[in-house]
Amino acid sequence: METIQQLIELFPYAILGSIVAGFICAFLGIFVISQRVVFLGASLTQVSVAGVAFSFLHLINIEGFFARIFNIDIEHNIFFQNFEPAFFSLAFAIICVLIFSQTYRQKYITQDGILGMIFVISIALRIIFIQKSPAAEVSEIESILKGDILFIGQTQFFTLLAVTVLTVLIFVIFQKQLKFVTFDPETAMAHGINSRFWLLIFYLFVGMGISLTTRFVGDVFVFAFLIIPSSIGILIGKKISQVFLVSVLIGAIIPPISLYFAFILDVSSGPTAVVLAFSIFVIAFISKKIFA
Amino acid sequence: MNNEIIEFSSVSIGYGRKRILENINFSILENDFIGIVGPNGSGKTTLLKTLLGNLKPLSGEITRSKIQFGYVPQRDIVQPLLPYTVHDVVMMGRYSLMGIFGNPKNEDGKIVNECLSHVGIEDLKNQRYNSLSGGQRQRTLIARALAVQPRILILDEPTNGMDTPSHYSLLELISQLHDESKLTIIIVSHLLTDVANIVKRLMLLEKDHFQVGNIEDILSEDNLKKTYSSEFNVSKIYGEYLISSKKKV
Repeated sequence: METIQQLIELFPYAILGSIVAGFICAFLGIFVISQRVVFLGASLTQVSVAGVAFSFLHLINIEGFFARIFNIDIEHNIFFQNFEPAFFSLAFAIICVLIFSQTYRQKYITQDGILGMIFVISIALRIIFIQKSPAAEVSEIESILKGDILFIGQTQFFTLLAVTVLTVLIFVIFQKQLKFVTFDPETAMAHGINSRFWLLIFYLFVGMGISLTTRFVGDVFVFAFLIIPSSIGILIGKKISQVFLVSVLIGAIIPPISLYFAFILDVSSGPTAVVLAFSIFVIAFISKKIFA
Repeated sequence: MNNEIIEFSSVSIGYGRKRILENINFSILENDFIGIVGPNGSGKTTLLKTLLGNLKPLSGEITRSKIQFGYVPQRDIVQPLLPYTVHDVVMMGRYSLMGIFGNPKNEDGKIVNECLSHVGIEDLKNQRYNSLSGGQRQRTLIARALAVQPRILILDEPTNGMDTPSHYSLLELISQLHDESKLTIIIVSHLLTDVANIVKRLMLLEKDHFQVGNIEDILSEDNLKKTYSSEFNVSKIYGEYLISSKKKV
């Protein structure tokens, strides 16, 4: 109890942020898994990290640009002090999903092949950006790039919360269109629903969710929470509503529990959350095999 | 005289710079029943996509009267991991009619139930789509297409990979939809005998060439030889077409 109290006192926003990050990843993960574009999740996490690395080059003063437009004093604005990495992370992810969403029209390269290329080129660019970065230590930058649940502060938490609320709202309001185009885009198009447009909306929100959560909690956490909770949901849920409920509950509950274990075992919180989520998946899988 | 509902005038179809079929001229009439057949790569799917409006023609003009399509895709491309029920899947057919912010109403539920009963699967309403057999899945997709309340129903390889009883009962259902519900039907298949015995008109596609006409005019040994580069016997026994290869096995 004492450890839990200490955790709540020391890292209140880390706990809340980890719940929101786990929730949004699990929610988007259901669609990513059902669309069979799991590798899109992996690629987007790397694209987002490359975007953050790009921001360290300070080639484009995006903070200054927006500060001038909105007449904001950067020195006294916490949100704007962290704006550049998040902006480029998001920009890189959006460019990536825009390219990816158009790839189904061509027949020369498979979508897997395209995602594979995006994945490796993102890692290569990240390495080059870091090497050319004026900042001091490469290892130090790498750790900043990767994000950490414990570093989630008030600004990061509210940013995550806003993105989560917006994403869920969009998916609830336009559930008909998104459900149909992710289930059977060809027929949706034939029946008068613009699949190209709605798939683009779908990928844009997946890109936005993944890029921001990657920036705040790290690529390993995000990729794992895109796949594992939704896989458990699909394994256990007999109805669509059960799949969503199980997935988002697991996505939201595991991160704060793993923060506790990481604290008492003195290990990193992100990998702990991944191991814990995977353990639950194994239990669910074995139970399904035995009792189904 | 039946009304024309779709007209292709000097249409070329294909992808990018690759033209698959050129100078296509034909009309689809109200209450028509057309079978599209041809060897692999002859452009059946491309023609279908163009017909549906999912693919723009490379040249020429397609005139459509304001009609609602009901489309039944190849069953294999719909492989959901999520546990959608049969009712959920058929309800998708109503989505395009609800408006951008609209939600399913009682009336939509009623239409979905009618469509399920029309194709004979009302008892599967609450079953998971991904737990159904091939024939049941196909009937679900047909019910979804009917839920659009279409004037024209387009089916892509509906009997692919089905066992014999499901195969024939599905062909019977498609014929019934044409005869009883007066639907215009276009069916794409590589199974020539199946198509020949249910449709009124036949479209034979081959690379760079196509022909369309009444079944008795088009279904000849010469035309099949041109289309498939292989020799066939075409005979009619008890009013049913029987098409077999001339090659001795």
